[in-house]
Amino acid sequence: MRGVLGRFRELDAAVDAIMALKRARLGDVTVFTPTPRHEFEHAVEPPPSPVRRYMLFGGLAGCVFGYWMAIWASNSWPLVVGGKAIGSWIPYTIFGFEVFVLIGALSTVAGLFIHARLPRLTMLVGYDPRFSHGDFGIWVECAPDQRASVEALLKQHGAVEVRGEQ
Amino acid sequence: MTTVAYEPRRPNIATADVQLPAVRDYEQVDDEITATLRPTRAWFVALLAAMVCLAVGISAWMYQIWGGLGVAGYNPPVMWGVYIISFVFWVGIGHAGTLISAILYLFRAGFRTTIYRCAEAMTVFAVMTAGLFPILHLGRPWKFFWLIPYPNWRLLWPQFKSPLVWDVFAISTYLTISTTFLFVGLIPDIAVLRDRETNPLRKRILSFLSLGWRNTEREWRHFARAYLFLAAVSTPLVLSVHSVVSFDFAMALVPGWHTTIFPPYFVAGAIFSGIGMVFTIIIPIRKWFRLQHYVTLNHLDGAAKLCLATSLIVGCAYMVEFFIAWYGGVKAEQDYFWNRVFGQWWWAAWIMLTCNMILPLSLFSQKLRRNPTWLWLLSITINIGMWFERFVIVVPSLSHEYEPWQWTTYSPTWVDYSILLGSFGWFFMWFLLFIKQLPVIAISEVKEIVPPRLRHAHTPGAH
Repeated sequence: MRGVLGRFRELDAAVDAIMALKRARLGDVTVFTPTPRHEFEHAVEPPPSPVRRYMLFGGLAGCVFGYWMAIWASNSWPLVVGGKAIGSWIPYTIFGFEVFVLIGALSTVAGLFIHARLPRLTMLVGYDPRFSHGDFGIWVECAPDQRASVEALLKQHGAVEVRGEQ
Repeated sequence: MTTVAYEPRRPNIATADVQLPAVRDYEQVDDEITATLRPTRAWFVALLAAMVCLAVGISAWMYQIWGGLGVAGYNPPVMWGVYIISFVFWVGIGHAGTLISAILYLFRAGFRTTIYRCAEAMTVFAVMTAGLFPILHLGRPWKFFWLIPYPNWRLLWPQFKSPLVWDVFAISTYLTISTTFLFVGLIPDIAVLRDRETNPLRKRILSFLSLGWRNTEREWRHFARAYLFLAAVSTPLVLSVHSVVSFDFAMALVPGWHTTIFPPYFVAGAIFSGIGMVFTIIIPIRKWFRLQHYVTLNHLDGAAKLCLATSLIVGCAYMVEFFIAWYGGVKAEQDYFWNRVFGQWWWAAWIMLTCNMILPLSLFSQKLRRNPTWLWLLSITINIGMWFERFVIVVPSLSHEYEPWQWTTYSPTWVDYSILLGSFGWFFMWFLLFIKQLPVIAISEVKEIVPPRLRHAHTPGAH
């Protein structure tokens, strides 16, 4: 993976650089920011996160499992308590709900890990510890012949440091 | 191309756009919050005190295992005592964390940002503490796993219609989700610590825990969505957990217990007591760690209003209980409530009413809401009052059921008190260890409310 890494001190400078890179079509852009900012979301225009679907399907599966577990175990050990039916769905709603939340939430975290590509074993190229501190970063994955143009563009838009990495 | 310097702001005047006027930039946030991780002598003393309390509790528990449950103050038919009271108390403490981190997140309440990490950690440790008490309450604690539906060759299963099994599912789900919520929120902050760490061993551990987080826009996008859904699903979970705990009582045909008001009454009480414990913890932390410009008086004021609101709900529930007993015309219920407030247990009931209903009315005063000393003192009385609320729910009912020949009394023994003390030692030991390993204020979320550095002049809050 080859490219150019630009470090910015100011938010609006980084946003301007992203817009310029998109207009010039100079390569794939990865943005680093110490905290989520709407400005970057508007500049990058990413697709909606599919993590919500993990919640939906995980939660539904959990709900079904919660009811099934309680009903199956009750039929397997059939004791009448309080005059209620063996497979009594009203009290078993508690199990349906709790397992819905449990599996739904854990599936959401699994979705986060899958789509954010976590856990990451190495930091790979194009990362600087200052991006978790206070600076913004732009990593542009580009061909060697485009490197000079990318560096010039990043500097022009206020990058305080530009370096090539591979 | 010139960099625009920040305009000087008055440090104690917050506006809708500028929530932390004394915080200039992201670097300051990192520097000041990570500085709280350096251990101090006072911290070691506090940790030692917590561990001594825990040792007292463990010793008492070992004595109880050796001597049997009779060494606790059980007096038939009062077979639920300090352990069940403390179980409900600690589960309640655990409710404020998810309320502050999840529900207030959905409502975009600004005062939550600097206190939610503390409340979330408190939740996890409080639920860990609560989970010990049903086990302590068992005569043979090593058989607690019988409550878990695990496959076994005798095809024996727990009774799924029992509220005690509902409890197992509710509490274990709550502990799992609270821990997950806490950990997910910590990932970006652990990455901050990782990038600043110089000790190779600690850096390796932090690298492992941060899962290779790199602060990319892609990571933040999925993180924000996952966090939102975790908050959305945690909200009904909070409401369900203490409702299920209240079913332990409400499903029984015992005077004072068998009532439909219990679930909302328990949930409001849990949130009230949890906010009390948040004050108990966060006010010393902001003073000792010199974080007054993060946990501002505005934040304490907002949390105090929430405390007042839940106190009013709890107070309303107390009154409605009396009204239902009087209006329902059931003699056993009427006798029970009279005995609770003017008879055998008057002292416990009046501690409860004073601490939970009367003293919190002081929070109608803005001056007192913005007085950290008063809030801390009040929070101590709320903790005491809420423990006594559970005492008043558990003991007077069991000691004053339908048959007069069954009426009795109850006195906890030194074993009960020691184990209660040990539970505080257990809770604070974990909390003290937490605050010196991980940031007690969410670094990445605080950065969200600090205006970023800009090249061109910018009106704060306008994107």
